[in-house]
Amino acid sequence: MSVNVRVNDLDEALASCAKGDRAALREIYDREAGQLIALAQRIVRRRELAEEVVQEAFIRIWTHAHQYKADRGSARGWIYAIVRNRALNLLRDGRREYTVENMDALREDGQADEVMAAWQKLDRASRLYECLAALDDVKRRGILMAYVEGYSHGEIAGRLRIPLGTTKSWIRRALSALRECLA
Amino acid sequence: MTYERTSIPDLADEYVLGLMEAADAVEIEAAMERDAELRAAVAASRERFLPLDATVEPVVAGANLWQKIEASLPLHTDTANPVENASANDNSRNGWRVAAISAIAASVILAVGLVYSLTRSVDPLVVAVLINEAGDVQAVVEDFGNEDARIRLLADFDVPADKTIQVWTLPSREMGPVSLGLVDGVNGAHLGGAELPKPRESQLYEITLEQTGGSPTGRPTGPILAKGFAKRSR
Repeated sequence: MSVNVRVNDLDEALASCAKGDRAALREIYDREAGQLIALAQRIVRRRELAEEVVQEAFIRIWTHAHQYKADRGSARGWIYAIVRNRALNLLRDGRREYTVENMDALREDGQADEVMAAWQKLDRASRLYECLAALDDVKRRGILMAYVEGYSHGEIAGRLRIPLGTTKSWIRRALSALRECLA
Repeated sequence: MTYERTSIPDLADEYVLGLMEAADAVEIEAAMERDAELRAAVAASRERFLPLDATVEPVVAGANLWQKIEASLPLHTDTANPVENASANDNSRNGWRVAAISAIAASVILAVGLVYSLTRSVDPLVVAVLINEAGDVQAVVEDFGNEDARIRLLADFDVPADKTIQVWTLPSREMGPVSLGLVDGVNGAHLGGAELPKPRESQLYEITLEQTGGSPTGRPTGPILAKGFAKRSR
């Protein structure tokens, strides 16, 4: 996996995109598209929707590259956030609903797997792993469901069978505990 | 959006995780442009969770996806001086105002559309006003049910030579998006009467930019130019 290597190159590639250099966008595509499609697919489920998300995201990266500055975090974080946001927007448009019936059927295995897989593959040496591990199981699961699969408060509450108000407040507390742990 | 300084870290996390309502997320994006502390909090939150993005197994990205991306890139001049910058995030400072104005504009257009349709011999079953991401009215679709549908474009679209505008509707989740046809003329088009259920109130209509001849997959693949929900003509 090429994550975390040549990070500075992404900065340079974005700067070149801002100047209208298509080869730089192609470079970002060659290096990141496979990962980004998979990331989007984890949220929107269907490969063709994931590709649509990535297509829109690359157009946005191209038109907004001039806005990227170091005070917006790493170039990778900025690019990945664009893909995540496009995928979440698509969910809000209700397009994942096509697969809701199937998803519900697969909930116990397929769905849990995505969250579990992300948790199991998370770098054990990372501080994030350590700090997530320090949370209760259910809080960790709630946070992973939100980040990994793009679930809303309501969906998390429904799936974990916890009242909505309670869900909101414990997710907020868990996020605060994570920040403290990672500080 | 007004928020306490002390709630910035909470807001940043909830924004990054995607836990906010869409309207609040748009407000946060606007606030980030002027609030350095919020911007820094969002950046820090992204970095905290980024290791989770590395847990996916990369897939092989096909060459045709890149071709689609390249074909829909605006020209360089647009990047240097972005005209297309009017996306939801960028004008969200005026988000609610824009929404209100578009809603008023949409009602006016809808009223005009309804009067127009009332004066004709056959009434459409539904009328949908299509709005782009910035909230501007772009087109009106009249759907007459099985016989035909009609689209009238109300904005100038920059359609490259190898592209065409395709009209879609979503009759039901089970059916998924269905093509109503392609827009050939500049002002509008008669669309073919696909065998579809009767259009209903609040049915989604949208137009996307597709390759000449229409989407190869039979589903929308290109960027969405505008969309809107149907109103039954009464």
